[in-house]
Amino acid sequence: MTLNDLAPLIPLMVIAVSSVIIMLGIAFYRSRAFSGLLTLAGIAVAFITLFGVQGTRQVTSLLILDDYALFYIGLILAASFVVALLSSDYLEGRRENIEEFYILLLLSTLGSSVLAASTHFVSFFIGLEILSVSLYALIAYTRNELNIEAGVKYLVLAAASSAFLLFGIALLYGETGTMEFSRMSSGISAQGINKGMLLTGFALVLTGVGFKLAVAPFHMWTPDVYEGAPAPVTAFVATVSKGGVFALLLRYFIQVDMHAYPSLFGAVAFIAVASMFAGNLLALLQKNIKRILAYSSIAHLGYLLVAFLAGGVMRVTAVTFYLVAYFITTLGAFGVVTMLSGKERDADAVEDYQGLFRHRPWLALIFSAMLFSLAGIPLTAGFIGKFYIVAAGAGSALWLLVIMLVINSAIGLYYYLRIIVVLYAQPGHSEVSAVSSLPLTGSLVLVLLTVLLLWLGVYPEPLIEMIHRMTMRF
Amino acid sequence: MLAEGIFIYLAAAITILSVLVITRKNPVHSVITMLVLFFHIAALYVTLNAEFLAAVQVIVYAGAILVLFLFVILLLNLKEEAVARRYVGPWPLGLMAAVGLFLAIIVSLDSFVAGPKGAFTTEVIKAETNTKALGKILFTEYLYPFEVVSIVLLVAIIGAIVLAKKRLRS
Repeated sequence: MTLNDLAPLIPLMVIAVSSVIIMLGIAFYRSRAFSGLLTLAGIAVAFITLFGVQGTRQVTSLLILDDYALFYIGLILAASFVVALLSSDYLEGRRENIEEFYILLLLSTLGSSVLAASTHFVSFFIGLEILSVSLYALIAYTRNELNIEAGVKYLVLAAASSAFLLFGIALLYGETGTMEFSRMSSGISAQGINKGMLLTGFALVLTGVGFKLAVAPFHMWTPDVYEGAPAPVTAFVATVSKGGVFALLLRYFIQVDMHAYPSLFGAVAFIAVASMFAGNLLALLQKNIKRILAYSSIAHLGYLLVAFLAGGVMRVTAVTFYLVAYFITTLGAFGVVTMLSGKERDADAVEDYQGLFRHRPWLALIFSAMLFSLAGIPLTAGFIGKFYIVAAGAGSALWLLVIMLVINSAIGLYYYLRIIVVLYAQPGHSEVSAVSSLPLTGSLVLVLLTVLLLWLGVYPEPLIEMIHRMTMRF
Repeated sequence: MLAEGIFIYLAAAITILSVLVITRKNPVHSVITMLVLFFHIAALYVTLNAEFLAAVQVIVYAGAILVLFLFVILLLNLKEEAVARRYVGPWPLGLMAAVGLFLAIIVSLDSFVAGPKGAFTTEVIKAETNTKALGKILFTEYLYPFEVVSIVLLVAIIGAIVLAKKRLRS
């Protein structure tokens, strides 16, 4: 490792250093605004320095900063920026000492960014631990009963899934003698390899990753944690944490060809179908917005896995575009929940939204746009994303998976539309409508997200172009 | 013959002790059983020439972590919990998962005789011992991640303080 190697790591170092600066700053001067501004500045500077990284830079065997990694890190940073903006007003009055929230937020962003750039199991695991450990604290941050329950659940399950992951990594290392993704693929195709052990290794790694991505049958924790966590943190778990892990999964299986292992392919296909059905069918039974969004995120990860299973360059385009759309939509939906939440509890019951259009028309319209995008209605980014996934699946002749996806989109439509109907119904009696005024920053963020959502839905070419350029150099 | 005998003793003792750890009603008994279990695992590592792992097992697990467990149990004064119903879900599910994992491991380890591949073959490790090989690679090739682990510790410290204290003095 030389000084030359450090240059491409500047974006990651900026995040780490700004978290330390905030920590030291708190020791002298405690102020929510100060810590919040430092966080936003840190993320913004890190984002700008991303453009300074030229070409593909491999930093030791652990990290690579190519266009793919830079794109995903950029996406993760943008999402963290939005979460930081949303959480500043949300946390006010919910507990004392909210400054530390920003340190944890920055460090978990760092963990997720490391995942997006990992080419080695060691950096993968360390990135994942930085991400998960900060999430334990973030989920339980406001310290009410629901929070702490969700935090403990996440702690136990994430720790157990890390154990599976480590065991899988150990088996893969034992069989191939390397932990680098690129060398592992040649190790796998070598003569005299023990396929049983490799497959067990893959299965265990997939179990560990499946927990983090919350795909069926490893999805049990999702609704409870989504419901219990503070709304902005839920947005963070749904976007930043899953985005980083998915970026890593995609990179790993581009370098290690999954199609050589039919049973592995079958297992992932099963997970995809199970996630779609589990997510959509269980969402039908829910009366809590956060839980509905949780189940919907399980289903969306299932859709993503369909694109993931398709071969070729097309899948990177499809997955990346879908993730961008999913990020915008999820942040927007949880942003609305954040804005409406009173101090006693989050606005998570469906009744809280009854007749929202009458007293908050703009918010209702924004929420409708987000739900339409989740359902994949045209003119939203969600539609284009789903279109690309179907195209990728059809291009690889994964007809069964594509048919499952279409059936599930139809089921999903039902519960999204049900919420939209409630939004425009006669107002009910809910204390949530009594929230006096909406914070300005949050409103601006939501408007911006909606504009982005519609823009990508109507004119997706610039983003598609960008993703194409990124995959060209892969 | 002697090596085999020792292995069979250790394997049997580890299995029995593990079952005891999860079936004791009194958490203090569980922890004490776990202490004995950890020493047996350490002994198993020694017979496999993994002296570094054995030392870590004793120092970190038996020494630090178990003492922490005992402290927590004693501080919480778990009189009622000691006899209360345990928070365990349906056991057939657990059994199924355990049997599945067991089968997977049996299948995968069935033909695992070649020893580790890659740069660290059995001969290399025998020539320069585990501790030396581990230290060398940790402070050369993996120096950077080794340093970055400090961030994991930082996160853990901040998280623990934030969650444990309601009000931090400002």
